[in-house]
Amino acid sequence: MSSYPHIFSPGQIGSLITKNRIKYAATETNFPYADGFVTDKEVAYMEAQARGGAGIVTTQGAYPDKKGEGKGFKGMMAIYDDRFIPGLARIATVIRQNGALSCLQILHCGREGGVELDYSIMASAVPQKLSYFKAPKEITNEQIQMSIKEHIDAARRAKDAGFDMIEISGIVGYLISTFISRYTNKRNDEYGGDIQNRCRLMTEILQGIKAEIGDTMPVGIRLCGLELLDDRGGNTFEESLETFQLAEEAGADYVSVTIGWHESSTSVITRDVPMGHWLYVAKEVKKVVRIPVMMAFRQFLPHIPEEAIAKGDIDFWEACRPMIADPELPRKIFEGREDEIIPCIACNVCFSRLYYHQPIMCSVRPTVGHEGEPGWGYYGFAKTIKPKKIFIIGGGPAGLQCAAVSAKRGHQVSLFEKNSIIGGSINLASQVDHGAIELLRPINSLQKECHNAGVIIQTDFRITEKHLIDMDYDILVIATGASTKELPFTFSGKSYSPRGIIANRQKPPKRTTIIGGNGVGLGVAVFLLGSGDYDLTIIEESGKLGRDVNPFYLWQYIRLLKDRGVKIFIRSILRGISGNTLHIDSRGRNEDIETDGLIVALQEPHKSWDAFALQYKKELHYIGDAKQPRRLINAIHDGYRLGMVI
Amino acid sequence: MIPIVNKELCVGCGKCVEVCPPQALILIDESVNLREELCEECGFCAPECPVSAIEIHFPLSTDQH
Repeated sequence: MSSYPHIFSPGQIGSLITKNRIKYAATETNFPYADGFVTDKEVAYMEAQARGGAGIVTTQGAYPDKKGEGKGFKGMMAIYDDRFIPGLARIATVIRQNGALSCLQILHCGREGGVELDYSIMASAVPQKLSYFKAPKEITNEQIQMSIKEHIDAARRAKDAGFDMIEISGIVGYLISTFISRYTNKRNDEYGGDIQNRCRLMTEILQGIKAEIGDTMPVGIRLCGLELLDDRGGNTFEESLETFQLAEEAGADYVSVTIGWHESSTSVITRDVPMGHWLYVAKEVKKVVRIPVMMAFRQFLPHIPEEAIAKGDIDFWEACRPMIADPELPRKIFEGREDEIIPCIACNVCFSRLYYHQPIMCSVRPTVGHEGEPGWGYYGFAKTIKPKKIFIIGGGPAGLQCAAVSAKRGHQVSLFEKNSIIGGSINLASQVDHGAIELLRPINSLQKECHNAGVIIQTDFRITEKHLIDMDYDILVIATGASTKELPFTFSGKSYSPRGIIANRQKPPKRTTIIGGNGVGLGVAVFLLGSGDYDLTIIEESGKLGRDVNPFYLWQYIRLLKDRGVKIFIRSILRGISGNTLHIDSRGRNEDIETDGLIVALQEPHKSWDAFALQYKKELHYIGDAKQPRRLINAIHDGYRLGMVI
Repeated sequence: MIPIVNKELCVGCGKCVEVCPPQALILIDESVNLREELCEECGFCAPECPVSAIEIHFPLSTDQH
């Protein structure tokens, strides 16, 4: 029996029985075409989700209106016309064929919609807080009636396409949520006012859909359990709880509890939020409704939902990001192979890409969106006809990923790591702040993947050209990480490297300056501010701090730096040093900065093997930071892509 | 989807260069150049361009054969 008996017990939604309590939750991908039609890529992605073993697989939200006011992403799936049914049916079919219940989500993005228009519609025209959303327009009563009809028509199409159930989304700023929230609903008609009236659009849509599609097909809804809009006059927790009761009264067959709006100024899904933190909200919802309650939100490890289901706080475990990272998550948990799960690290690269009109990618799973392409090996690789002996130097994420993939393809792979532990610069990044320790999870899973694939990993082995001359191998892969730039100046105070500060716990003087404001420089600053009282200055050459840091984390880091009085100089170059004084050119002006400590956080590619490769006529590849200092996604993707073709 | 730079429109202001996480964009002779092997297709560059010289083509179903 599984160690997670509650997760793997059957569940019930309406009259339907699910094989377990895991639901792959709705996730936009930007894989569909810009005109809303389903692509082969989307079908293959959904098939992978269904094959992974979840009890319920939900589609991405499909927008229900022809004008595209409901369309929030350039590659969002559409359901406003019967022409879309055949494509949607392909998704319903691959889900059913793999033994899961299929759920289609209808999503009108409201305040976040109109991606290809110059406006968005919502309950009341409350100004946008986020720059990438469109100018707000108040929806008229006539348009409300039209939208209700569009939702009902969409539900009928979902039924015709063969889906088992339907989900409506009323969260984060989407149309229904703009009515529910006091923050965006200032209406004087029957759709505004108290919470009952503000829920009228939701209840009329639910009732309309139930009347249209009949009792056999369950209809669920996602609602905000906590809006986290207290600073803008959003709903109280009590009001939010009432919305779930009103949904149940209107005929909802389940509710999914979500947290926060996209414009909330609180961390919701980042690593600083402890796993399972938001379950207390679902628990309160569970007390006021009799229908099944679901939740996603930072439940990355199975013991968390297992315990929550056992205690009766939730009925179903929803997974979005953890299943983008590994659609096989349910099966691996069931089979006791948890150490083989490709773990989501909450980097939110997937999410942020959507707002830049790009298909999702995943830092830890390069095969996202390539599940249907055999060359990417999602379902396993074909063995190479030319097995080679490959030496990989460096056991960080790039080297490990390259080793795993090339070994799976049948190459004989040895990996050499100079330190006693693998992980490379992730060992530093994982110590930067609270929650960063999760960054080590993919290192552990890659180590397991390498082990299973037969990679020989040698730690405490600093390989040199001398070693290599006597060794037998065909291809050399350099994955040593970046080199730290050396300054052409002499500083009379104390100098440090990021590694010295984080790994060796060197304590710099209180008044310290960091040269370089990319991820590494910011990481060192965040680390220092978390460990003591510092008077820091950051000098960055470009006009942007943290260009390689995901926006989900960057705003937190910048806020911390500002709160702690860190002096930031952008568009600034170090021109010279005399004694303890740094001479910088800041936006064309000369500035002198007195400092006692100096941390150089500038990196450059590590190219020192070129001459060797030329002399001994070896095939040589650089990956990860050794090729170009970048972020984790690039290291892992570099390694994977090289492993695919080597 | 890889950004396509229209060199005739590009004014070489470098705004896109500053937001490119992998530093795949570089200025050469006052015009921006993309090193495709480094591009992670994040799309950060396009909205920064003041003269709309960077296009990222999102395919339509009718683009296909």
